[in-house]
Amino acid sequence: MNNYSLWVMEFAHVPNYPYSGLVYGAHNQGTRRLPYCYILIKGQGKIAMVDVGYNHKAYGEVLATMFGGRDWHPPDEVLAECGVAPKDVTDVFLTHSHFDHMGNIEDFPNATFYIQERELSKWVWTLSLERRFRWLMLGIDPADILRTVDLARQGRLVCVNGDREDVLPGIDLHAAPDTHTYGSMYVRVRNDRTPNSKDTWIFAGDLVYTFENLRGNDPNDPEYIPVGFASGSQFNLVMTTEEMVKRVDGDIRRIIPVHEDRLKDLFPSRVTKAGLRIVELALAAGEPSRVR
Amino acid sequence: MKPLATELDEATVAYVLETRKAFEDLRQVAAQLAGLLVLEAAGARSGIPGHPMLKSAVHLHAEAADAVQSARATPRARRHHESLLRACSEIRAALAAARDTLAIDPILIPVRAAYAHLQAAGAELPGFEMVSFEHGCCAVPMRSTR
Repeated sequence: MNNYSLWVMEFAHVPNYPYSGLVYGAHNQGTRRLPYCYILIKGQGKIAMVDVGYNHKAYGEVLATMFGGRDWHPPDEVLAECGVAPKDVTDVFLTHSHFDHMGNIEDFPNATFYIQERELSKWVWTLSLERRFRWLMLGIDPADILRTVDLARQGRLVCVNGDREDVLPGIDLHAAPDTHTYGSMYVRVRNDRTPNSKDTWIFAGDLVYTFENLRGNDPNDPEYIPVGFASGSQFNLVMTTEEMVKRVDGDIRRIIPVHEDRLKDLFPSRVTKAGLRIVELALAAGEPSRVR
Repeated sequence: MKPLATELDEATVAYVLETRKAFEDLRQVAAQLAGLLVLEAAGARSGIPGHPMLKSAVHLHAEAADAVQSARATPRARRHHESLLRACSEIRAALAAARDTLAIDPILIPVRAAYAHLQAAGAELPGFEMVSFEHGCCAVPMRSTR
């Protein structure tokens, strides 16, 4: 029996995203539709999310005019499709500190936010470096740092040092240091809450962008190919991918990349009136389907 | 982003080029101060007064403030320049507070104000981004879609 209902909620997308950004070394291979999504987890008296997306007020126009970002919708609209309001969200697991994953903290006034301590401390360390190192600050918004100060003062920031089991019942956080970022992490949901669950889901943040990162391009000869961007190392990304695959007993359909547009081919889904896709991974007892 | 010369007159382009580094440095100092505040708020032992990053922030601010003061603002750039001057002033206040106190608010309030002024400046003229999107994980490849 599922303890949690799990949905992948699209909140914006880029129509034509170069494939080389998703898969390391895949140059001159065209573009793909790139959804921006966060994960909604509901059950056991909790409403949790994996990442919170970006803040349109701060970034939307720039993303739309410079980079082709489209159809951003606020969390109250997006989450309402599953009967949830942002104020109801109790816990948020931030996979990493890029603006498109943690840029909308302020829309969740009652949530406790979990982030790897290393992500924060290395973030501050890079700030101390001279100007020529500014590439290391990629994707970081000073406003997010200020918002993090407020979270800490309000006692709503939990700095996690490494792995942490049962941060909520059956939900584990796993550190992936020096991969996509300095202190990335992924979230494992053991949906039957058993220690050696056969009903495990992994929410990979940006450790995986697309199915090809997990299986390569040849179904008959699978391989791991890291994502197209990392401030850590590609080696660590590949080894973390192996770790995640082992945690789902080789069933890579249970590793969820939030920028993958083809989740709809594997799981039930629907498109809302706003043109956003909801993918339903699991339903807890008593929870109605939100896609049928 | 369109080339500056297609949107602005020559003197304003010169102003943009003259102040862009100062803007980025002020953004960096605001971020450094915010980073120190995160450490303080999260209970780190290092403390803000005497933190090595504070020294570099003071130096960076002084350079940026000089550049902003000496920049020749055109009528098109007047409001941008005023925002930069206000950001300089707020950051100066935050740095002074950081030297003297462990309290967060005397630093956080002017840093937040400085950030708002930098955002306002960024909205006035092209070429002043608060986030380096061109290096972001979702932005590098997107440049080619423009």
